[in-house]
Amino acid sequence: GKGGGFSGVILLVWADFCLFRVEISCLRNIKARGGCCLSYSKGKIPFSAIKGYSVQTVTGICPISAIIFHTRRGPACTNPGLDWVMTYVNRLRNKAQKVHRETSQAHK
Amino acid sequence: MNYSQDNLMFTQSEYNSNTDDYNNSVTPTPDYDVSAPCYHQKNQSLGEVIGPYVHSIICILGLVGNSLVIVTYAFYKRTKSMTDVYLLNVAIADLLFVISLPLIVYNELTSWSMGLVACKLLRGSYSVNLYSGMLLLACISTDRYIAIVQARRSFRLRSLPYSRLICAIVWATALLLSVPTFYFYSLYEPSHSEFFFDQDYEQETTYNTSEYVCEFLFSDNNTAWTIKVAVPSTQIAVGFFLPLLIMVFCYTAVIVTLLRAKNFQRHKAVRVVFAVVAVFIVCHLPYNLTLLYDTAYMFEQQLCEESDTLQVVKTVTQTIAYLHCCLNPVLYAFVGVKFRNHFRRIVQDLWCLGKKYIAPRRFSRVTSEMYVSTRRSVDGSSDNGSSFTM
Repeated sequence: GKGGGFSGVILLVWADFCLFRVEISCLRNIKARGGCCLSYSKGKIPFSAIKGYSVQTVTGICPISAIIFHTRRGPACTNPGLDWVMTYVNRLRNKAQKVHRETSQAHK
Repeated sequence: MNYSQDNLMFTQSEYNSNTDDYNNSVTPTPDYDVSAPCYHQKNQSLGEVIGPYVHSIICILGLVGNSLVIVTYAFYKRTKSMTDVYLLNVAIADLLFVISLPLIVYNELTSWSMGLVACKLLRGSYSVNLYSGMLLLACISTDRYIAIVQARRSFRLRSLPYSRLICAIVWATALLLSVPTFYFYSLYEPSHSEFFFDQDYEQETTYNTSEYVCEFLFSDNNTAWTIKVAVPSTQIAVGFFLPLLIMVFCYTAVIVTLLRAKNFQRHKAVRVVFAVVAVFIVCHLPYNLTLLYDTAYMFEQQLCEESDTLQVVKTVTQTIAYLHCCLNPVLYAFVGVKFRNHFRRIVQDLWCLGKKYIAPRRFSRVTSEMYVSTRRSVDGSSDNGSSFTM
């Protein structure tokens, strides 16, 4: 009776709603999602090629921990368990600290 | 401080202006093999197609089928038996699932424009409905097993309040198993890159300018390792293998009993059982095997190509699994003769409602009831078999 018809109307509204949603989403483009390191680079990267570094942890969407060195040829994933990686990180960190000190003094 | 906020990348120009220690511009000898971050390009472009198009088809089919089941129970057929209660609950779980599906797709395409509450609620309800749907299918198989194989105990065990209690337990279990999903899903920019300028000053960079995602987020590595394995493992075990085992056991016993019985309806019943189990396996086995493989090798090093392919397989098999909630109304409800008759009445009533202003409704209702009763008398013999079904 009444109920059936009413639900039918709801159903049609819902179906329309779905189609509408689809049309909206078609118009949008997906931006590239942040990538993850999935494996580590082999061999030692020369320090002179490195411009900076970032840290990838497993706490977000990524499956492994990694140190990403940003080189002239693009990012390189490295194993944080390796000694040379952590030595590089410390050297960069010291340099950054030096830069930071100089800049903050200049701003005073 | 201005410096570190604006220039998060430690670029070559900064070396030049500040320290010249390492600016020797030596061309790097390629004696190392660079592994770059992986972006899962294939899976992303597939998601753009499957997300809006295929999922909307699943959504519409699921909405129509499951709404019809719910409408039938709400207005035409009172939930008389245990099976009725289960079928209604499966339809509700599937309906909630297909309603959340377009909302998830919409949010994934719009950088989660609906916010954190929507993120947690949609991911959580997805999990709740997945568990409750699968466990209820196991309950239906147990109910049919009791009705047919343990027919003597059937009256005592298949009471209405008993089935409502079981449904409540199923929903509570589903909710409980989804607590980690509710808790750990969060809205954030996946800028995994943190850049350390200073030992005590940690600054998250926007190096990978990306959109917001609604994914797991943990405060420490140990929780991450545990939950990232525990959640999919529980889903595979409780959300697939447990119901599968129960179904295989119950339906095997049901088929054996049916084949012994002398009932001309038995062949149809056996076919229905086979269809129910086959569809369940075809829909969920590929996805769960992929998920199992993915979980087992999650923390291993992987090649970008291989990982991308695995993600593509996961997306495709997940879509096949989603399809199941559109097939449930057909496999469980509309297979039943009684249910089909009610369904005919809905169609007729909808037709009549459309003709509201042309013809008086009372008249058509009489004809529809007559029609149903004649159908019943024709199919009357099926009542025996339908204690099994529906």
